[in-house]
Amino acid sequence: MTSKKSKLPLRERVKREWNRNAIVYIFLIPVLGHFIIFQIYPFLLSFYLTFMDWKVIGDPEFVGLKHWKYFLSDTLAWKAIWNTVKFSVYYIVPTMALGLILALIINSGVKSARFFKGVFFLPVVTSFVIIAGIWGWLFRGTEAGMINYLLSFVGIEPQLFLANSSQALAVLAGLSIFKVAGSTMIYYFAGLQSIDRQLYEAAQIDGASAFKIFWTITFPLLKPIHFYVAITTTIGSFQIFDSAYLLTGGGPNYATTTIVYYLYEQGFTSLNLSYAAVLSYVLFFIILVISLIQRKYLGQESNNY
Amino acid sequence: MKKVISYIALIVLGFCFLLPFLIMILGSFKDVQFAQLDPLFWIPDHPTMKNYLYIMRDGMFIRWIFNSVVITVIPVASQMIFCAVLGYIFAKKQFPGRETVFWIFMAVIMIPQQLLIIPKFIMFSNFGWINTYWALIVPELWGIMGVFLVRQFLQNIPNDLEEAAYIDGANDIQIFFKVILPLSVPVVATVGTFSFISNWNDLFQPLIYLTQEKMFPVTLGLASMLGKEGNFGIEMAGSTVSFIPTFLIFLFFQRYFTEGIQMSGLK
Repeated sequence: MTSKKSKLPLRERVKREWNRNAIVYIFLIPVLGHFIIFQIYPFLLSFYLTFMDWKVIGDPEFVGLKHWKYFLSDTLAWKAIWNTVKFSVYYIVPTMALGLILALIINSGVKSARFFKGVFFLPVVTSFVIIAGIWGWLFRGTEAGMINYLLSFVGIEPQLFLANSSQALAVLAGLSIFKVAGSTMIYYFAGLQSIDRQLYEAAQIDGASAFKIFWTITFPLLKPIHFYVAITTTIGSFQIFDSAYLLTGGGPNYATTTIVYYLYEQGFTSLNLSYAAVLSYVLFFIILVISLIQRKYLGQESNNY
Repeated sequence: MKKVISYIALIVLGFCFLLPFLIMILGSFKDVQFAQLDPLFWIPDHPTMKNYLYIMRDGMFIRWIFNSVVITVIPVASQMIFCAVLGYIFAKKQFPGRETVFWIFMAVIMIPQQLLIIPKFIMFSNFGWINTYWALIVPELWGIMGVFLVRQFLQNIPNDLEEAAYIDGANDIQIFFKVILPLSVPVVATVGTFSFISNWNDLFQPLIYLTQEKMFPVTLGLASMLGKEGNFGIEMAGSTVSFIPTFLIFLFFQRYFTEGIQMSGLK
């Protein structure tokens, strides 16, 4: 094919290539330009910024590793990382468990499964601002708060929730669990549907209990999904910002200052853009490590491409 | 017995998931200060439209909705077009550098958007894009994830159709519009619905690039209301209005959301 074409005059070859691939050149070139301007260039600029002192006004000044060194000694940054890790602990397993439970119910042959699938998925498409507005009211730290009202029935004293530094992060995790469980459900639902029915039939003939079938067949066969969901949920948890911004403003006493919240505060409240760039690279490295772990254990088959 | 447990769980969990939305809608008809609100929200004693009238009164809320529409509709339309064409290119066309470019695209997905926000803020300040729609529209005109979804979808479609059209003398652009695009309607709809939700609900980018209240999208407007209005009913009325477009999109395109989630994750 190629050798035949190369015998043709250049103009003819260009014309043929254009006829064959016009759409590639018309669309790909502007998109590549856009990609370089809005993805590649900012990525590199951000790295450059970490070595500069960039105050919004005036020329940037080279300061070498100053901001990176400061990061190593910045106890608040480490607290933000620790808070984010804690948030993940509160968030990952419950999200997976709830997602799996929802998928199991939907998959159990109940009527109007489609309707309930929609109900469970609804928070996924709803903005954090709306859910946070309601959540803030549910978890009001007064006796008139709905959750406190419910707790009073089981004899628990009113809690401060968002104003209590040991509870606030867990309340925010609860909001995220509610918001995300629906998409976890979709993954598990797809996984459940791909399990061979014959396995269940064989187990039933052997007289295994529903509980035993779950632990010996369903749960282990969902392993790739457990892993995938765990990784994506972990990556998501490291990027958490909206709920902390909306409900606690990083407080009380920095208890809900997550990495991204701290990055936002440093960059756009204190205008330490260079230091915020350092923090964004720290976030990038954490996410990169998690993604590489995913690659290593999942191989090509469940990879992103 | 198993069925009974399933139904009980379904109803209890379904109620828990709908409760916040019930609180929002019923709350929007209550005229009451945040501090005085009864925990038993669902008894609508004196339903009132006051909150809705209040948010519509000064026109600011309507402006926020309008801003949201602008920064959502344009990127959604553009994403659908560009992701359809690029997905087709990467799935079906042969051209030098195809694999390399796609590999770079996929590697860039791993960069968290929060990393780009600081350099983009600096760039947009230089462009004069702060407090304009440009900052929120131009970067969102196409998306790597959408390209990936369309490519995945088209790779599973046999090449015979295209080849038949080539033999009939159709060119690239004709083939794209007459053969590929009609086939890709579901995946392009998926790209559109995802793009709608992420743009309509985005809080982080508007928060960085916008400081003037009249430029706010409805998310940021609501967030500013959460801070300053002490009135739960007004907040909930605002939330309800901003929720309606999301809900309608969800209602009509639910299938595409779940398909998109599955396609982007496991295959």
